Amino acid sequence: MRLRSLACLMLAAIVAGSSLPAGAQGPVRIGASLSLTGTYAKLGKNQHEGYQLCIKELNAKGGLLGRKLDLVVYDDQSMPPTAVRLYEKLITEDKVDAVMGPYSSPVSEAAANVTEKYKKVMVAPLAATTSIFKKGRKYIFMIISPAEGYLEGLVDMASKRGLKTIAVVNEDTLFSKAAASGAVELAKKKGLQVVFTEAYPKGNTDFSALLTKVKAANPDVIAAATYFDDAVALTRQMKELAVNPKMYGVTVGGDLPEFYDTLKQNAEYIYGATQWEPTLPYPGNQEFFDTYKKEFGHEPSYHSAAGYAGCLTYAEGVRRAGSLDADKVREALLKLELKTIFGEFKVDGDGFQTAHKMVTFQWQGEKKVTVWPDDLARAKPRFPTPAWNQR
Amino acid sequence: MVGQVIVSGVLSGALYALVALGLALIFGVMRVINIAHGPLLMLGAYVTFFLYSRLGLNPYLTVPVAMAALFVVGVLLQRTLVFRVVDAPELSSLLLTFGISIALVNLAQNLFTSDLRAVEYLTESWSVGPLSVSKARVIAFVFALGLTGGAFLFLKTTRLGKAIRATSQSREVALVCGIDVGRIHMLTFGLASALAAAGGALLAVIVAIQPEMGGVWTFKSFLVIVLGGAGNYPGALLGGLLLGLVEQLSSLFLTTQLSEVVAYVLLVLVLLVRPSGLLGGRQT
Repeated sequence: MRLRSLACLMLAAIVAGSSLPAGAQGPVRIGASLSLTGTYAKLGKNQHEGYQLCIKELNAKGGLLGRKLDLVVYDDQSMPPTAVRLYEKLITEDKVDAVMGPYSSPVSEAAANVTEKYKKVMVAPLAATTSIFKKGRKYIFMIISPAEGYLEGLVDMASKRGLKTIAVVNEDTLFSKAAASGAVELAKKKGLQVVFTEAYPKGNTDFSALLTKVKAANPDVIAAATYFDDAVALTRQMKELAVNPKMYGVTVGGDLPEFYDTLKQNAEYIYGATQWEPTLPYPGNQEFFDTYKKEFGHEPSYHSAAGYAGCLTYAEGVRRAGSLDADKVREALLKLELKTIFGEFKVDGDGFQTAHKMVTFQWQGEKKVTVWPDDLARAKPRFPTPAWNQR
Repeated sequence: MVGQVIVSGVLSGALYALVALGLALIFGVMRVINIAHGPLLMLGAYVTFFLYSRLGLNPYLTVPVAMAALFVVGVLLQRTLVFRVVDAPELSSLLLTFGISIALVNLAQNLFTSDLRAVEYLTESWSVGPLSVSKARVIAFVFALGLTGGAFLFLKTTRLGKAIRATSQSREVALVCGIDVGRIHMLTFGLASALAAAGGALLAVIVAIQPEMGGVWTFKSFLVIVLGGAGNYPGALLGGLLLGLVEQLSSLFLTTQLSEVVAYVLLVLVLLVRPSGLLGGRQT
């Protein structure tokens, strides 16, 4: 009897002891700048919602290191210089405890200079350009597969179907350039002839001259390293100018439900690359999809899932390190092997992602259907893509 | 190939002319450089989008609605804000309209969200020999020519049009002749906004709509009226077609990235050789 009450007392003391400083310390504040307006608004917002859901769920489970979590977010208007200013502000004025990455490669590249300067660990869930992670930076971590692999599925399927020529066009920014050069390399390796390449400036809306040149080169495959706005504009103008490749694929943006909403049946047959699909057999994926849809009233995109998983990955790093100290968290993340709703996480010594896998889908009957790689494919691709006037 | 891009250039050039004409009017009459011209075009595009997607209206029937709506917006802007800077140095009008433009874009972001919208209507094209010509662009071209022509006719023949031209030539003399200059300014701003709205409504069928779509149109219009001669209304048509062709041909023979460079180099050249624009300024 006495023993039991003693044990009870001890337990109470432990609970009180551990909860007291937590209350005194206040919440762990995590800062980020995101593209809530501007060219990348659609994608940046999804990432934001991924962060929000992650924080909400972590808080429901008792927070991190016994402290609640708070998210501090600013809008960088899709502009790298603005993001630089905002990360400076977050770290020096707001004095946040930790930071998470912004949206897109160009913005992450710029922001990483700030976070490195102040030695803050930054998990950058939506930065896919290899070079960002191969500059000797110590505190940045990658979640998604590198940009160079985005068009791998398209090129691989094309060469297996005996297609001979490919045209590669891209937005002239960090990520798209990397995706395009990856596609060109891969195409050469697989024996496809690259008959046309050209970059266009960010924010370009008129592709008629570019597509006229593509049409003259008459490629079997058109691979476009795009974001969302340009993917939509390119597709509409391909139809206007009757550019009819046997396969046409885009990179980012093509996987958003809005891509189909905007283009309607013109999106059919288009291939896209994605880092994640709700249908992929990863642990907890279905639950994530349902909760997200309930929370925000629309389906998550891979940007949402990467944001969510990136935030969980950082939290896991902190938990294993037992501290918010940047060097300890860095050590923990370098050793971490994690399987989330987004797939696998494992990085090399530079924080560069090595375990995560990409998939290629095709829009078939208003739905995205995974068609590549073979072990994850849910259907065969509808091949070849019919001419615009024969649909 | 060259034929195809010349067609594209002429088709988009007419739209440039239509939108730029509004900017030229305001500059001609009030000496105000209206940075908010592009955002007004964006609002016109949203009018078309909502009437099409919510009420199922034919997008081309929405052009007059968008014009009327933005006419009112233009008149109100002039009544409440712009009239204050008409006689002020040009920097004040730049700052004011820059502010209006930021406010309009942010308003649109809050009201309409920054999601990309599109009017999926008439996405097919005609094939003429080796050329494919987009139906939506041809119709936009016809509308643009019609509206630009209509605006010229209005300025040339009607009493009100003559009053507008008189005010743009000399405000004092117009005043002396009994023209209500304040009212002319309001009408001009309204008319210019309506022209921008028409451009926006036509563009809605061609490109995707989002709150920031207008910015590039402010610059293009500016380029067009400087090429044609600021304040010179027929010059806007010439400048528009020229810009359309230069953009397309330089994208074809150089690269898409260089096409903007070429357009602005052309601007610098014209300013060096003929500082008053190709047709000379202010010959209304």
